[in-house]
Amino acid sequence: MWGYYIEQLIHSLPFFLQGLWMTIAVSGLSLIMGTVIGFIWGIIRASRSRIAKAVIGAWVDIIRGTPFLVQIFIIFFIMPEFGIQLEAFPAAVIALTNLASCFICEIVSAGIQAVPWGQKEAATSTGLNWFQQLRYVIMPQSMRVVLPPLVGQYVLLIKDSSVVSAIGVSDVTRVGWLTVQRIPQGLLVFGLVAILYFVICYPLIQLSSILEKRMSAGYTRGKE
Amino acid sequence: MIEFKDVHKWFGELHVLKGIHLKVDPAEVLVVCGPSGSGKSTLIRCINRLEPIQKGELIVDTMKVHDSKTNMTKLRAEIGFVFQQFNLYPHMTALQNVTLAPMKVRKLPKKEAEDQGRYVLEKVGLGDKLHQFPAQLSGGQQQRVAIARGLCMRPKIMLFDEPTSALDPEMINEVLEVMRNLAREGMTMIVVTHEMGFAREVSHRVAFMDFGELLEIAPPAEFFSHPKSERTKLFLSKILTH
Repeated sequence: MWGYYIEQLIHSLPFFLQGLWMTIAVSGLSLIMGTVIGFIWGIIRASRSRIAKAVIGAWVDIIRGTPFLVQIFIIFFIMPEFGIQLEAFPAAVIALTNLASCFICEIVSAGIQAVPWGQKEAATSTGLNWFQQLRYVIMPQSMRVVLPPLVGQYVLLIKDSSVVSAIGVSDVTRVGWLTVQRIPQGLLVFGLVAILYFVICYPLIQLSSILEKRMSAGYTRGKE
Repeated sequence: MIEFKDVHKWFGELHVLKGIHLKVDPAEVLVVCGPSGSGKSTLIRCINRLEPIQKGELIVDTMKVHDSKTNMTKLRAEIGFVFQQFNLYPHMTALQNVTLAPMKVRKLPKKEAEDQGRYVLEKVGLGDKLHQFPAQLSGGQQQRVAIARGLCMRPKIMLFDEPTSALDPEMINEVLEVMRNLAREGMTMIVVTHEMGFAREVSHRVAFMDFGELLEIAPPAEFFSHPKSERTKLFLSKILTH
């Protein structure tokens, strides 16, 4: 019996690879855009402008405090009532980008705040402007704190992307749901789904722990 | 060069500078001393507007520091600031530390900035440490890099905020030596310090601050032998006996 199902599964492999490609497309796009937006939000959140800080802070709290499934439902099923009709794919990318932005915002602002205040004062007192301080003094130092959890967050977001199957995006999770109706072997089918996620996530998990080790090594590069 | 006219500063409710009047001439070396919390650090931090003042006028080399329209980049480029905790950029080598601002603020080409950086680091006795990171340097060496970082902007004024207070005793002298040389070359300097030997030997005037007021200011010979205010006498008796 198993042999037959495995054979069936192998036949549907192209279908799974399409799903995998969709998962990579949705999460890849969202991670890239979410990183850009998240850094901008994080920098603002760590800055002094009170209003922008409060607005971003409130938004981040709302998004972090509600389930992703609910957020994606709101974008896909409820926004049309207000005249914003989106296809499943852009809706998924928007929802996941927003989620990524919020988590990355928190990581980045914590990283910036971890840089001692004296660094900013030293940079200020030599006449560097706000952007130069950020670019040459603050960000390079905060990246040590930011990078390991950032990559870890990517892993979580790639896994969270499975939720987009709920609005009909044919990602690898949805391919699993569709396949299991033809091949009633849940363990086998979702085992394959799990393996496909793992294949993307495992290298990132490794990268995160390598970064963590390297970043905590201290500023001793070039030491004999 | 630097003029305080009735300068007031508050941290919230706390009145930390209470009507400071002070004039520092070009090439003058002024030492400011006083107990901790007296406002002496705040006094020099106001000069490059690391701290804004709330009342009064503060003029540096014809630029109005109290005026929010003043170009702060231009002002800060003219003022070197040395911190108690060095505040070197830990991700950059000594040479990178001293060339960043000249390249980005003064727009010096990299080659020129590096030539100048090498020259100045050489001058503070660190010609062999150009490519070391701060973590690989001793406290005294780090502070000398920090002084070099200020000097590479070719400032008209150098401010020192307790530059030797975070150093082990055996390293204090190498930093003071650099400062002595600077004073000899005619740099305008304000030094917040408890190094009374330095004050006696190098400074033109010594000022005493307490509770946000500038209580006394006089040439060192007079300041140390005939302090006028009681609080100055008390302070000197405490720090000169040990």
